[in-house]
Amino acid sequence: MRKRSVFAMIAASTLTLAACSGNNAPPPSSSPSASASSEATATPSSDTGGGEKPEMTMLMQYGLFDPNADPVSKAIEEATGYKTKYEMLPAENADEKLNLMVANKQNFDIMKLGSAQFYKLATAGALEPLDELIEQHGPNIKAALKEDSWKSATIDGKIYAIPETGSGISVGEELVVRQDWMDELGLQHPTNPDELYEVLKAIKEAKGIVPLTGTKDSIYGDIATAFGVINEWTDIDGTLVHKAELPQMKDFLTYMNKLYSEGLLDSEMPINTSAKAIEKFASGNAAMYKLAWWSASSAEAALVKNFPEAKIGIIPYLKNKDGQASVGVNLATTWFIAVPKVSKLKEDAIKLIDAKLEKETFKKLAIGEEGVHHEFKEEKYYPILPKFNDDLTNASVYMTGVDEHNYPTYWQARVRKDPVLQSYYEAFQANAANTNIVVDPMSVAPPIDAVSKNKQKLTKLLDDQVLMYIAGSENIADYDTFLARWMSEGGADAIKEANEWYKSTK
Amino acid sequence: MKSETASPPGTTPATPIKRGFFAKLAADIRRDWDLYALLIPGLSLLLLFKYAPMYGITIAFKDFNIFDGYAASPWVGWKHFAKLFSAPDFLHVFENTVIISFLKIGILFPLPIIIALMLNELRLMLFKRVVQTVIYLPHFLSWVIVSGLFIDLLSSNGGLVNKALSSLGMEPISFFLDNSVFRGVLITSAGWKETGWSTIVYLAAFATIDPGLYEAAKIDGAGRMRQLWHITLPGIAPIILLMFILRLGNILEAGTEQILVMYNPTVYKVADVIGTYVYRMGIGNQDYSFTTAVGVFESIIAFTLVIAGNALSRKYLQRGIW
Amino acid sequence: MKQTVSEKLFNVFNCTFFVLLGLTTLLPFINLIAKSFSSESAVISGKVNLLPIGFQTGTYLYVLQNDMFLNALKTSVILAIVGTAVGLFVTTLTAYPLSRIQLRGRKWILLLFIFTMLFSGGLIPTYLLMQALGLINELPVLFLPAAINVFNMLIIKNYFEELPDGLEESAKLDGASNVRILFSIVLPLSLPVLATIALFFAVAFWNDYFTAMIYITDQELKPLQLFLKELLVASSGEFLKDNVDAALNTTPQSIQAASILLATLPILFVYPFLQKYFVKGVLVGSVKG
Repeated sequence: MRKRSVFAMIAASTLTLAACSGNNAPPPSSSPSASASSEATATPSSDTGGGEKPEMTMLMQYGLFDPNADPVSKAIEEATGYKTKYEMLPAENADEKLNLMVANKQNFDIMKLGSAQFYKLATAGALEPLDELIEQHGPNIKAALKEDSWKSATIDGKIYAIPETGSGISVGEELVVRQDWMDELGLQHPTNPDELYEVLKAIKEAKGIVPLTGTKDSIYGDIATAFGVINEWTDIDGTLVHKAELPQMKDFLTYMNKLYSEGLLDSEMPINTSAKAIEKFASGNAAMYKLAWWSASSAEAALVKNFPEAKIGIIPYLKNKDGQASVGVNLATTWFIAVPKVSKLKEDAIKLIDAKLEKETFKKLAIGEEGVHHEFKEEKYYPILPKFNDDLTNASVYMTGVDEHNYPTYWQARVRKDPVLQSYYEAFQANAANTNIVVDPMSVAPPIDAVSKNKQKLTKLLDDQVLMYIAGSENIADYDTFLARWMSEGGADAIKEANEWYKSTK
Repeated sequence: MKSETASPPGTTPATPIKRGFFAKLAADIRRDWDLYALLIPGLSLLLLFKYAPMYGITIAFKDFNIFDGYAASPWVGWKHFAKLFSAPDFLHVFENTVIISFLKIGILFPLPIIIALMLNELRLMLFKRVVQTVIYLPHFLSWVIVSGLFIDLLSSNGGLVNKALSSLGMEPISFFLDNSVFRGVLITSAGWKETGWSTIVYLAAFATIDPGLYEAAKIDGAGRMRQLWHITLPGIAPIILLMFILRLGNILEAGTEQILVMYNPTVYKVADVIGTYVYRMGIGNQDYSFTTAVGVFESIIAFTLVIAGNALSRKYLQRGIW
Repeated sequence: MKQTVSEKLFNVFNCTFFVLLGLTTLLPFINLIAKSFSSESAVISGKVNLLPIGFQTGTYLYVLQNDMFLNALKTSVILAIVGTAVGLFVTTLTAYPLSRIQLRGRKWILLLFIFTMLFSGGLIPTYLLMQALGLINELPVLFLPAAINVFNMLIIKNYFEELPDGLEESAKLDGASNVRILFSIVLPLSLPVLATIALFFAVAFWNDYFTAMIYITDQELKPLQLFLKELLVASSGEFLKDNVDAALNTTPQSIQAASILLATLPILFVYPFLQKYFVKGVLVGSVKG
């Protein structure tokens, strides 16, 4: 009798353990994805004259806040009448988690995807073609987007997402220098790589420091541009050429390696984070680095705290051999707003997106109400603090497409929340406007299989190798051997297919 | 270890003289039924959470597409293994893995044992407890933070170590960028982070040693070294052996998480291990079949080593995990 | 008791060694504390070493008023307590039979357990299983699969095997069942190893962010280490590279430091509390008596 009760106890405890899993077990959706598109029309629509709108589920990218408690989510519900439940991808391993959720048919009505994620899901057949739905329920969507934008979300003639282009063209980084030292040494801003070399040498001799610092994440830009390595892709006589195969790449690397080996470029560049680069600049251990305008206020504050007399000078974009300065920009779509096939509320999904893109609604969701969140003076939007930050800090994470005609203007309100930030932002843009702005020709390309598939791997392969050449751990004379390997790892296919598309647009 | 032949007396009353295998089995089960019952919770969790998903290993032999599912993905045999072994960097990366792993076992396995023995010799209880608590702190820092600390400490631009070197008139060393010292950085930082934590298991083992043995040894006039050598060390030998055999199972895991955070292209030559290589080559691709094949390869080697380690240990030391 | 000269020398060396070792492990924490109380400008320029510069406490107010942090703290504490209790219970129950030599099939059952340390089915089938069990976004997913920990089980089993045989023999002669021997004789003698394994479980549950990252999207259920991980990742250059809007809202380094400290402190108190069970000689009385 006693024995039995002990056994019963153990058995019961196992059962409880197993039973914990009992609640909330939605059986995996059994609807085969192949027939999902026909289901779309069969799903009951809630479009019966202002009746109860269904609760929507949206998957968004990571942001450091609680998406269901943020004021923006309430504002969206008030403006559209749709209650939405938000889920975020994790900050790390986002692609992995997305694959798992999609493969297991986890239910979402709207997904905000990065370009690689979008391409993978679209080609795997997990996304609903949206042409008809937008035609029927998306007048505001059509009004908000420019005709060209749709290309990036069109695969084999069908639209699989609403492309979100973001805040428009702007440049983020530019070389800055300790102006107080430049003045002290009587140096002029360098205008090309040769002059830069002389300036760095003069600073090194006078101050006994390694003058130029940089980070592993920011190799290209100012200096590379002066050598002709401007964008990832370049049009040379009607043919697309990847930067890896540009002959100028070797010149750029040789130059950087010279700076590195002569102690003009921080030897710790391959391990520097952006915080580390700022630290070196702000503590007087470096005289020059590539500043991103969004970190300008904290960097300047830290520098002035250490050296009250210090000043930051912005070096105009360097010129190439022909005296021409260039800035590369990429217009590629940042986010793709898709509706997965498993959604049972596809029409409502498009209606919700459409409602959010209605002109006034969009403005309200982006920069709030005039007089409360922002004010309008001299043709510019200025935020009213702290209300703007309290209510709208995370607004962009919720966006599902933007009013492309107005958003770049609205968005600048974010920059104007801090005068230092604003001054750097505006100075960078003004400097860029004086140069030859080169748009990456692949910006407007539709998703191309061989390009999208290996993009991240090829970028990593190239960036790693470039760092090795700069740091001198590989010899630039062997560049062609590396290039051959890069080509065989998928580079050649990417170039071939990119050009097939490029020729077809001519 | 205890003898396996004789079952304890008195547990199986009224034993028949001749028994078949099944009769014996039934008798043993009847005798120890409550022991088997104790296994039920652990065994069911094991079967449910570890064995039920085991079919996932088959994707190493398939071209798995996560969106098509298991059944729809075609079988491809050893293709992914062939891809691994024929990768141009495989031999090189494998060599790095084994070297780093051996260095870690050779240096970092004995370290916690030595530290635990030294801690055991501290006589002041309060000091001992404070030290124990303090040296296990780094275990709670993530690799990103530990890496940042070591970068600062070893920086050639104002780092403490290089300041000391230059005051001795030596050239500064770029520890994180120099192929000849980077493995040393990996091992030192791993040792700093985990040694204190690893002592705990040995500290607990000291409790099993009968204090009477020390008293007897003192009466015999044995010094502390002899006590350590003849009582303490044999007392914790079983746990050392267990830890060592289990450590063998990690031989191809040279510290992927640590290296991913700490390395950079200039030291790929000496620090690129199987885990980091597969990570880099798989960026943005999610080649589940290939990564699973690599995992299976590592597991088979690990399993072989654990089995062999256990067999050798049974043969020469008369004890093992099973 | 007299000490020889060499023993005295050894003692001096030993104490000095541990003071130095302790300093190397303690200083980084002091540096974090100093950063968390310093002004952001001082932290950014790398000036803060062991003492705060521009003393402030706003960082702590900020973190402690953050609902996400408080939620995560709650989840982590519950997880550590429940997970450790369940884990210790299941693992001990498993270890005991497997430490009994006479148990038939012992070797094969052990192999069955050890096999899972080296082979696993991988993330995808496990995710499918969790979904089928309805465990996605449920607290048990964070501790149930980890409750049977083979490594911990082997350590307990090893300890049980070291216990003197005599105790159980006499109990068996008195007619005590195996279960009774476990609970009334073996476990009371096993406090050192149980304390160790409790610590291992608690620390493992506390430090685990990966499980939550895969199975938990519900903000209310995210544990502290996932919160911390996301805070640090969201401030890293790689994450901010193409994300201007996120870059405009990065978390200041002083707040990062305060978050790291607040996320680590609670678990640090577990060890000193458990240390009292690591006493030598727990077996003395019982063996002789």
